[in-house]
Amino acid sequence: MKKRFIDILRLTPLRGPSSWTYPPVIEALVDIGEFEDHPSNTLPGFYERLSSWLPTLVEHRCSYGVRGGFLRRLREGTWVGHILEHVTLELQSLAGVPAGFGKARETSERGVYKVVVSAPEFELGKPALYCARDLIMAAIEDRPFDVEGRVATLRELADRVCLGPSTACIVEAAATERRIPAIRLNDGNLVQLGYGSRQKRIWTAETELTSALAEGIACDKELTRQLLQTVGVPVPEGRRVDDAGQAWEVAQEIGLPVVIKPCDGNHGRGVFTRLTTREQVAAAWEVAAAEGSGVIVERFITGNEHRLLIVGGQLVAAARGEPAWVTGDGEQSIEKLIALQLNTDPRRGRGEDSPLNPVRIDSAARIELANQGFEADSVPPAGTRVLIQRNGNVAIDVTEAVHPSVAAAAALAARTVGLDIAGIDLVAEDISQPLEAQGGGIVEVNAGPGLLMHLKPAEGQPRPVGRAIVDHLFPDDESGRIPVVGITGRRGGATIAHLVARLMRLAGQRTGLACADGLYLDGRTLEQRDCTDFESGHRLLLNRLLDAAVIENGARTIATEGLAYDRCRIGIVTSVECEDALPERDITEIEQVYDLLRTQVDVVLADGASILNAADPLAVRMAALSDGEVILYAADPALPAIDGHRARGGRSVHTRNGLIVLAQGGTETIVTHLDSVMMLDGSDRPFALEAVLAATAAGWALGLPLELLRVGIESAQWEGEALPTQATLANDDPATTRHAPTPSARERRVAA
Amino acid sequence: MKLTRIRALRGPNLWSRRTVIETIVTGLEDESTARALESQALRLQQQAGCPVSFSLTAPTREAGVWRVVVEYSEEAVGRLAVALAARACKAIDPGCEAGTAETFADPAEPFDLPAAVAQLRELDEAQRLGPSTGAIVDAALNRGIPFRRLTEGSLVQFGWGHRQRRIQAAEIDRTSAVAEAVAQDKELTKTLLHAAGIPVPPGHSVDSADAAWEVARLIGEPVVVKPRHGNQGKGVAVGVSGREQIRAAFDAASEHGSEVLVEKLLPGQDFRLLVVGDRMVAAARRDPPQVIGDGASTVRQLVDLLNTDPRRGDGHATALTRIRLDEIALARLAAQGHSPDTVPERGERVVLRNNANLSTGGSATDVTDEVHPELAARAVVAAQTVGLDICGVDVVCTTVREPLEAQDGGIVEVNAAPGLRMHLSPSFGRGQPVGEAIIDTLFDTGDDGRIPLIAVTGNNGKTTTVRLLAHMARLAGHQVGMTNSDGVHVADRRIDTGDCSGPRSARKVLAHPDVDFAVLETARGGILREGLGFDRCQVAVVTNLGSGDHLGLDHIHTVDELAAVKRVIVENVAASGSAVLNAADPIVAAMAGHCPASVIFFATDPQQPVLAAHCAGGGRVVQVEDGGLVARDGLTRHRIELDDIPLTGGGTIPFQVENALAAMAAGWAAGLPWEAIEAGLRSFVSDPGSAPGRFNRFDYRGATIIADYGHNPDAIAALVRAVDALPAQRRLVVISAAGDRRDEDIRRQAELLGDAFDAVLLYEDACQRGRADGEVCALLRSGFGKARRVTDIDEVHGELAAIDRALAGLQPGDLCLILIDQVEAALAHLAQRMAEPLPRAA
Repeated sequence: MKKRFIDILRLTPLRGPSSWTYPPVIEALVDIGEFEDHPSNTLPGFYERLSSWLPTLVEHRCSYGVRGGFLRRLREGTWVGHILEHVTLELQSLAGVPAGFGKARETSERGVYKVVVSAPEFELGKPALYCARDLIMAAIEDRPFDVEGRVATLRELADRVCLGPSTACIVEAAATERRIPAIRLNDGNLVQLGYGSRQKRIWTAETELTSALAEGIACDKELTRQLLQTVGVPVPEGRRVDDAGQAWEVAQEIGLPVVIKPCDGNHGRGVFTRLTTREQVAAAWEVAAAEGSGVIVERFITGNEHRLLIVGGQLVAAARGEPAWVTGDGEQSIEKLIALQLNTDPRRGRGEDSPLNPVRIDSAARIELANQGFEADSVPPAGTRVLIQRNGNVAIDVTEAVHPSVAAAAALAARTVGLDIAGIDLVAEDISQPLEAQGGGIVEVNAGPGLLMHLKPAEGQPRPVGRAIVDHLFPDDESGRIPVVGITGRRGGATIAHLVARLMRLAGQRTGLACADGLYLDGRTLEQRDCTDFESGHRLLLNRLLDAAVIENGARTIATEGLAYDRCRIGIVTSVECEDALPERDITEIEQVYDLLRTQVDVVLADGASILNAADPLAVRMAALSDGEVILYAADPALPAIDGHRARGGRSVHTRNGLIVLAQGGTETIVTHLDSVMMLDGSDRPFALEAVLAATAAGWALGLPLELLRVGIESAQWEGEALPTQATLANDDPATTRHAPTPSARERRVAA
Repeated sequence: MKLTRIRALRGPNLWSRRTVIETIVTGLEDESTARALESQALRLQQQAGCPVSFSLTAPTREAGVWRVVVEYSEEAVGRLAVALAARACKAIDPGCEAGTAETFADPAEPFDLPAAVAQLRELDEAQRLGPSTGAIVDAALNRGIPFRRLTEGSLVQFGWGHRQRRIQAAEIDRTSAVAEAVAQDKELTKTLLHAAGIPVPPGHSVDSADAAWEVARLIGEPVVVKPRHGNQGKGVAVGVSGREQIRAAFDAASEHGSEVLVEKLLPGQDFRLLVVGDRMVAAARRDPPQVIGDGASTVRQLVDLLNTDPRRGDGHATALTRIRLDEIALARLAAQGHSPDTVPERGERVVLRNNANLSTGGSATDVTDEVHPELAARAVVAAQTVGLDICGVDVVCTTVREPLEAQDGGIVEVNAAPGLRMHLSPSFGRGQPVGEAIIDTLFDTGDDGRIPLIAVTGNNGKTTTVRLLAHMARLAGHQVGMTNSDGVHVADRRIDTGDCSGPRSARKVLAHPDVDFAVLETARGGILREGLGFDRCQVAVVTNLGSGDHLGLDHIHTVDELAAVKRVIVENVAASGSAVLNAADPIVAAMAGHCPASVIFFATDPQQPVLAAHCAGGGRVVQVEDGGLVARDGLTRHRIELDDIPLTGGGTIPFQVENALAAMAAGWAAGLPWEAIEAGLRSFVSDPGSAPGRFNRFDYRGATIIADYGHNPDAIAALVRAVDALPAQRRLVVISAAGDRRDEDIRRQAELLGDAFDAVLLYEDACQRGRADGEVCALLRSGFGKARRVTDIDEVHGELAAIDRALAGLQPGDLCLILIDQVEAALAHLAQRMAEPLPRAA
């Protein structure tokens, strides 16, 4: 008897490209039990409950390709696995992670599905999936379900585990506009953009080009003010003071009104503006001094607060602040009026995504109110306008309005402090006029500025600040990528990997290699075990001293972990064979193996190449999937696949009359004699020749010079499981030689 | 005896290249008291450990007044030393200098020399750069790289303008903030190092004591327990094993952050490898504070004995720090079964702390030369992997003579902004040149961080020469920083206004991140007040001294005395640079003898003996030949026609010809391309925009008006010569005079003008520089009284009113010289008047 329950049997996070899609997904094996016999249209009230609990499901265009498509399917009848997919995506979406890819597929066992949902963060995707299951069960069984509460929990989780909005916008811009890959390095906002030696790291709006020293300078407001003044950036006159008495003396000296602020505070903490009396100055000094870093008194500049974002010497966005007012009704207290008139604004919220913060009566507001003769619980007469915040959130986009000389002053300020990315706080009546004439000035320079105000301004147009930062880090079409060569299939993968790595090293590139017999960094052996797993490939891509990476992937890696790289320059498929079937993953048919291994070709870049074994018909079939060019290889030049490919002008590598030749269209270029290739000499290893041809093709595709190909191929020796490197290993790494693998394991694999 | 004025001369000055405190001492009967003050102030600083050696006492013209000059290495220390010396000499301070007053509080009190030295020593320690930064600064100075402290702390700027770099202790301006953040996260650092194939101890971060115990069992005990994010060894427990110890270690570590790293304890000792750029430059073995038992002394006695080592101090300033028997030490002792009062056996090693930080009494032994190249290579890769250009790599291994892989050693941490003390002055072994290594990463070989710097001084023509040079340099593609008597200019922006010919303005230019070429007007006042704003210049230009200006001020009474002041720029020309000197002005020409570098002479007359001799001797000269400016270097000549130089009015304005000669010579000396020099001379116009107040010519309803800022007899004489060359019917001059000049100079100006002009309009304005109302006009009138030509003298109050009055009376064909004082206001007013439409005929 089947149970009336949705059983999630297994969760597999696929961290990289998989047979499903490119971005990370969770593959869930789900047993829907007796619901296999009860599609949605047969569950009374289910449609109504589900669609009212999650009205935004209307946006899902599934099945019919139109808005409301999924709901239509739901009404007409679909199975629970499919519903689970959509609800999981929707819950992630409601938690702030927009929906992406989803799929539900039957397996060979009746009622058991593979439900696949995109999950940028497994830590969020997993609870979303379970929450979706609970929600569906509640909707089926007509039980109440606290949708709002559960979504709120997920949203909190998302805030915790996902990248912050500033970082996310940079990563997003890199990925979508520049196709630069990203690797998150910790559970915070530290992200690596690009791979290997081409990578650049960011941490929110700080980059690896951001000077730590400059950040220190920016934190010291008095030093910053002095440096800016020295180079002629307009700044308010000011001075550091040691006590309230001195604060008042200085205030009178530089002229009232004044601003009092802590030396290294930020985000406006402890900042008091427009102080005019001795009492105000003394009170402000007390609070600012409590921040602990010393106190500055400076001239108050009349005008609006602005935030100018400088990236790589250019102004990329500017926002203006806005004062917050309430209007008295003769009945409500100011506190109440704020709640009613200001904080009801939907743009105001506490979350990272809200463009405006809720207005609260802080010490600065209290002083502002006192200036107008009010307190927080005063009831202003009807019609009286009461100023609460002189400068609220700076969130009105004014990028277009900035006067060129103001932009130049802001850029000079960033340069003077030494920051590549800086948020310049500037006070001016009119940002479209030069500062000097209006007495405006730069009041602060901030390292690691928030980007949200430019991404989601309360008014005006969002600015592509993420793109600006990516362009700053990767100028001039720099892709951030190192050449990655991916290899899959069962015919000589590790041998090809070693050969390709050897060729790239000969070409002067520091090359990392992860394959079935170990992990190597530019010739140095790090591990001697099967390193076709995700972690090993990932390790190479993290390594900023590598100019190139060669990564072998087993079918199991693709099925259970995903590829370590999002895209690669060269993708090599040696064969598609039944031996790669994974029955425990319900991959049993050759077509399913094909679907798995094709991932290697799916990820080839448009300017890259897929290198396919012409002797394997299924490998050849993948040619149609390649974004980049296709190069076929085979010992036999007469294979029909090669013929057709050459006829279309394609490239191939094969043998002819004992020679290895590079062929394109009608021309053939000789690389070398087969007799000259040491590896092939007397070798009875299967696929040795195919491996040499595949590696030659890869070298050709990488643009290596013919001479280098020839020398590299001719002089190559068996590596990895073969003897030559063992001697060096003994000196190098006695710890690992203890676990030197037996060649037989490897032999079996190659022979298989 | 009274100290009436104390000045710190912060750059090369009248007395020395070194920084000095200059004190004016009055009320002396003879020189001996001043000498006593001088030697006392110097000796006090020396006893406090300051590296100073220069001092002198110089008389003034006034009876009983001497100038006492004493070198300082830290300004505050120098000032205090003078104050203390004054107290020792029973001087009376009139309280003219804030900050020193308190040291004079009770002159009756006997002078306590040891206390004074201690006070100075303490102040010096607080003020001077710490040993790490100090070592880097010394290395920079050895390479001729200029430096400037930006704060009282360790933030230092090297180099000038766009070549500038900054450091803060062992952190440089390119040290990446993100890399520092990575280094702070020990778990992430390990992940990245592991990815880069660097041996690291196995381990994980955990958030509970139970998890810590599990990890420990998995990786094997003993383990190291430390905060995931932390530094300076805070909360670190080394070599713990057993559930209880690990729990306690976890609790201690978690006080420094919720995440705690548990990792395998690697066998061996602690080493610190310093990586700078792509090189390991130093390595030290670090031993925790420990004592070795002698079988008789208690732990406390052994510690006390060790602390008698004079190298052990209390802070970061000394090679070793005293060992403290604090709670941590007591706990560590207890763990070994000791207390401060137990007597360890002979030869027993008693460790007083787990970590080997110098600041807690550990010691460092230099092992730089022993490090195996493979091991050094791993340290460099570790630094590069994290992204740090200056990096302290912590290694645990049995010996540094073998690769890490051969001995189960590993890198346990990398540190940004590492301490350099253990490498500069290790407790044992040789110090390493790490300051040099850091400077070498900041500046390539042969790069001294300098930009071309032309200093211009002289009596007249400074501003025009400076502006002309800046114009040439701009045409050569430079971002020019320029100071002169009307502002500080960077590229096309004026960033400061007013008289900016002093050292503060010079420093503004040299601090500006965009400037790659500096032309600095360097006036007398600033040199006297504070010394030069730079340590040396590439080109020093002295236009002329004539009969001098500002005489009588600042104890400068004669032209020779003035020359000694202006000569300071010539004395401080870089060895590879040049002085550009006016051969026709004997006092200027004589400065050649004070120039440590080559000299270019200029003069209108090629026959001028000094110039001709220099030329004959193979020296470089610039002169006028047949209506053209010619630069000669042996047989090589560069020529430009006077007709092509509008500034000179086709050669008719003699003083502008001299300015053009000076600028041509200086541009040449600074290495500007000839195309830029020529283009500059061709295109430079002395209009109010490019050279305000420098012979600005206007045409006003058929009359010629010339506005000029000249205000000394030489300038007036030059103007008279230039104006004489211009045709005119009636000649009118509008004049005031700067009140701070000597009576005789003011009268002399009037005499000169009175011989060349028909009519005079006198004015006085608000700014009389200390004179009473009417005083200046009276002096001028007395001068005009002796003049031969002038017939008509009138007087108006207010500069603008004077201009209006003059314009009102002008007829076509008249010439009017207006000697303006408030340059900007006067020129703006003139421009406004010029723009007015002609009044309709009545």
